Amino acid sequence: MFSAWNWVAHGLYLLLNICFLEVSGGLVQSCGHIIPESPVLALGSNFTALCILNESCLDFGNIYANQIIWKIKNRVVPKEQYREINRTVSSVTFNDTSSLATPLTCNILADGQIEQNIYGITVTIGLPPEKPKNLSCIVHQVSKLTYPMTCTWNPGRHTFLDTHFRLKYRWPQENFPDCIPKDVNNSCTITDVQFFVNLEVWVEAANALGKAESDPLVLDPIEIVKPLSPHNLSVNSGILPTVLKLSWENRISAAVMKLKFNIRYRIIGDTNWMQVPPEDTASPRTSFSVQGLRPYTEYVFSIRCMKEDGVGYWSDWSEEKTGVTTEDKPSKGPPIWRIIDASRSPASWTVHLMWKGLEPFEANGVILQYEVTVRAKSSLSSPPEKYSVNTTNLTLKLPNGTYEVTVIARNRVGASPPSVLLIPASNSKAPVKNVRTLPKDGKLWVGWTAPNSYVLKYVIEWCLVSNSSDCVTEWQNEPGNVQGTYLKGDIKPFKCYLITVYPLYADGQGSGQSVKAYLQQDRPSKGPTVQTKKVGKAEAVLTWNHLTVDEQNGFIRSYTIFYKTIDGNETAVTVDPSKTEYTLSSLTSDTLYTVRMMAYTDEGGRSGPDFTFTTQKFGKGEIEAIVVPVCLAFLLIVLLGVLFCFNKRDLIKKHIWPIVPDPSKSNIAQWSPQVPAKHNFSSKDQMYPEGSFTDVSVVEIEADDKKSFSEQDLKPFDLLKKEKSTSEGHSSGIGGSSCMSSPRQSVSDSDEGEATQNTSSTVQYSTVVLNGYRDQTPVQVFSRSESTQPLLDSEERSEDHAGGGDSATQRQQYFKRNGGQDETNADRPCFERTKQITPANEGDLVGFAQLQISGQSSQLLGNELEKNTQEAALSDVLQTSTEGQTVRPETVEGSPLSVDEMPKSYLPQTVRQGGYMPQ
Amino acid sequence: AAAADSPSAALRRRDLCSRGIRLAGKMRSDVIDLLDTYVERQGLDASASVAAVEGVPAAAAERWDEQTGTQRLLENLAAYRAFRALLAQMLEEQREQLGEADAALGRALAAVLLQVSAFAYHLEELLRLESRGPPSEEGAGPPPPPHLGPFERKLRGLGVLRELAQWAVRSARDLRQLAKPGPGSSSAPSPAESP
Repeated sequence: MFSAWNWVAHGLYLLLNICFLEVSGGLVQSCGHIIPESPVLALGSNFTALCILNESCLDFGNIYANQIIWKIKNRVVPKEQYREINRTVSSVTFNDTSSLATPLTCNILADGQIEQNIYGITVTIGLPPEKPKNLSCIVHQVSKLTYPMTCTWNPGRHTFLDTHFRLKYRWPQENFPDCIPKDVNNSCTITDVQFFVNLEVWVEAANALGKAESDPLVLDPIEIVKPLSPHNLSVNSGILPTVLKLSWENRISAAVMKLKFNIRYRIIGDTNWMQVPPEDTASPRTSFSVQGLRPYTEYVFSIRCMKEDGVGYWSDWSEEKTGVTTEDKPSKGPPIWRIIDASRSPASWTVHLMWKGLEPFEANGVILQYEVTVRAKSSLSSPPEKYSVNTTNLTLKLPNGTYEVTVIARNRVGASPPSVLLIPASNSKAPVKNVRTLPKDGKLWVGWTAPNSYVLKYVIEWCLVSNSSDCVTEWQNEPGNVQGTYLKGDIKPFKCYLITVYPLYADGQGSGQSVKAYLQQDRPSKGPTVQTKKVGKAEAVLTWNHLTVDEQNGFIRSYTIFYKTIDGNETAVTVDPSKTEYTLSSLTSDTLYTVRMMAYTDEGGRSGPDFTFTTQKFGKGEIEAIVVPVCLAFLLIVLLGVLFCFNKRDLIKKHIWPIVPDPSKSNIAQWSPQVPAKHNFSSKDQMYPEGSFTDVSVVEIEADDKKSFSEQDLKPFDLLKKEKSTSEGHSSGIGGSSCMSSPRQSVSDSDEGEATQNTSSTVQYSTVVLNGYRDQTPVQVFSRSESTQPLLDSEERSEDHAGGGDSATQRQQYFKRNGGQDETNADRPCFERTKQITPANEGDLVGFAQLQISGQSSQLLGNELEKNTQEAALSDVLQTSTEGQTVRPETVEGSPLSVDEMPKSYLPQTVRQGGYMPQ
Repeated sequence: AAAADSPSAALRRRDLCSRGIRLAGKMRSDVIDLLDTYVERQGLDASASVAAVEGVPAAAAERWDEQTGTQRLLENLAAYRAFRALLAQMLEEQREQLGEADAALGRALAAVLLQVSAFAYHLEELLRLESRGPPSEEGAGPPPPPHLGPFERKLRGLGVLRELAQWAVRSARDLRQLAKPGPGSSSAPSPAESP
């Protein structure tokens, strides 16, 4: 760098000089020069330069040395460094060349003002070369006869100058041409060296500031040879399956050097090299037999060499060559195990025998087949059964019992030692204890505590527990002296493995002890889905399903239930992982709750979906507690009401069915019998002559005197009634079953528009025929049995007779008596009335009977039609009054004629308590 | 020159002997190789018989086992000095004849020349250890080469190389003999040192 800069500066300076000459050179010659010209200076040394002016210039321009100005580049050097030696010579001194730069110019102030350059020099600053160090040489063999020697050294610091290195070498009696490095300054290769003569080698470095030599190296080049590696390596299998013979060629003449060797080898696919003991190959040779190899294994070999005495360098490793050892008998029998399926039939087993293929180092060749021998222990006489199979399993159906199974693997060379498995009738021996697992280094370690008795070996079974696939059993054998092992298989993290350890004894087998394990746990992949089974007022029964084993990713250590109201804090409850149900209590009624559930493994938890539910407003039984009493109370009230009604039925009836004024009791009605002229019946006047009313009054007295009738006298009537009751169904179209359909009621019913009973009312009215008094023929015959409006007619007619008749008083009396009787009848339902009213009815009946008798005897008009209607009416009357009292009709029966008289009984009934009896 | 009886001198002597033996072996090996190349390159018949080369001491020696060490060394030295001159001459001739066209042969010749030279140095050193010092080379050199035709030169070269191969064998034996501790190994020491 430094020198490059110098070159640039130098160029600039030359350009400057040329310009100077062009401008003024023709006129002014160079007026001086600097000594030394273009010096090379050691960095840090002192330096003095002189500027010498030409005499001619002194004369020409009055230029003297005291006018000289020194400049470095364009910087003026301080005057203190100048010295005027004489008129024409000025010197400048630098104590340290590091302050120097190029160019250094000598200038002069012409006429005291104009600075003019006189001369300039290039100053090169650098360092002398250092002594080269660390010289070392190596002879690389490149062919059988060519041994170039390469020497390298440390060239030392950078000198900033052009520095040349030379590798010099010589024999004591002979010099050789120097080796000059090309493109580098720290190594050189001598194309050919001769061995067995000491060679003196050294390096010389030189530049403008000096020269330096390294310490000489004296050596016989044979001692620093790196030979070519042996070549044409070949590998041949020998007679023995554990030996391979190597052969090679050496590329260095034994006359030059004797060699020793290193042989390394590895199983193909393996990365670790093994080495033949060096002492076995410490002498010159071109072949070697490597022993102790595995049968039927492909090996890779490589070899290198160096001078036998170890002086010099190892060659590179030769190219690799492979060889395969020959086959040998399998070294051990295959590990064997079984799965017994005893479920199909009680007397025999399905035994799945399985064994593992031998490892290559055990198989020692290609396994051609396996030979399985099954020998029943119980029956020694039976010959063992033999099977030859190519697979590694065999399924047999065997009767229950103890068996000895032997498996032999066979390859081309021979058979393996037998593997024996005892299948005992029962796993009755001591099991292992305390089976435990531990993940370690990415593998799953299983440990157990050995039983007390001697164990031949252990079988460890394991399988991946999953919902999606069956438990595919894997297994491995372990020797009886271990109490723990790593599972040899692809054990995946986050998966549940069921591991079972069986101890095998010489004479039996212990039952398996199982443990579940994870190589690595994780959070569950999902949380439990919780829902309510029952929701109450203050509690809710939550239920959930366990996570499937695939979802667990580890051992579920606990569940946590989180529940909250919409605006409330979340409450957490930890639940034992074995539970699938939990009852939340102390909830608020009628409130929306959100509940979710987390399942935790050792690695953390995951939450299931939220579930919401609302607690009930009422607790269990609360509604019943309210509803039932209310219902009961209602029922009680109803019952009481009914009872009350029943008791007070008469009163109620009075209010519900107000007594309709009986038209027949009106004044018109009283009058109606006295207007016979109006009727078509001409006999009416005859029937009700004026004088006859006195007779009526007599009858009335009799009627009033009803109480004088003895019971005996009434009996015939009762009998009549009884008989009549048998035919009441057809004899009367009305009120057969209801007390309400008594004749008088029917009147009012008809008023209320009961059309069906109008006819009967009509009939009843039709029975209200005043037949006259006992001995008299009826004065009036109402033919209303065919009419629906008989009353109006009779009223009209009655009105016509309003003013007349002496008999009014008599009739009044008559009505009066009847009216009283009527009143009692109306007030009482027929059921009860039967007995109570009996005396009155009897009285009536007696009256009727009397009327009938008298009527019969005095009846002038034997009107058959009327008779019929009267009969019907009578039956009605009887029925109404005697319902439940079957005795009565007999009396009627006994005197058929009295049927005609019956309507008379009606008239008095319609009389209102004699309240407004017409005068 | 070093004191003959000092332990370092004995060591040096043994070292010189052993390396000399190996150098002789290497030289022989190289000369044999060179002979093949030479015969091929020069168009000669490998079975051609060559008359004894003038100026080359015969390797065969009568009563070889009766010789003293110094005698052996001196004979060897004389022979190799002669070979050195002859080979140098051959190399020059070969360069003149073939130029740079057959560099391999030239390099092989040069290599053999170097070994001959180195072996001569060994012998000289051994002689110095024998307290004799090597004889001066002046006058001991081979006579100036006669003017020969090209074919004769080739045959001469062949003869030189064959003799050299013989000498390499003999020299190895001489040095082995010399390396043996015993009466024959060296002559009586002499305090005088030759320059």
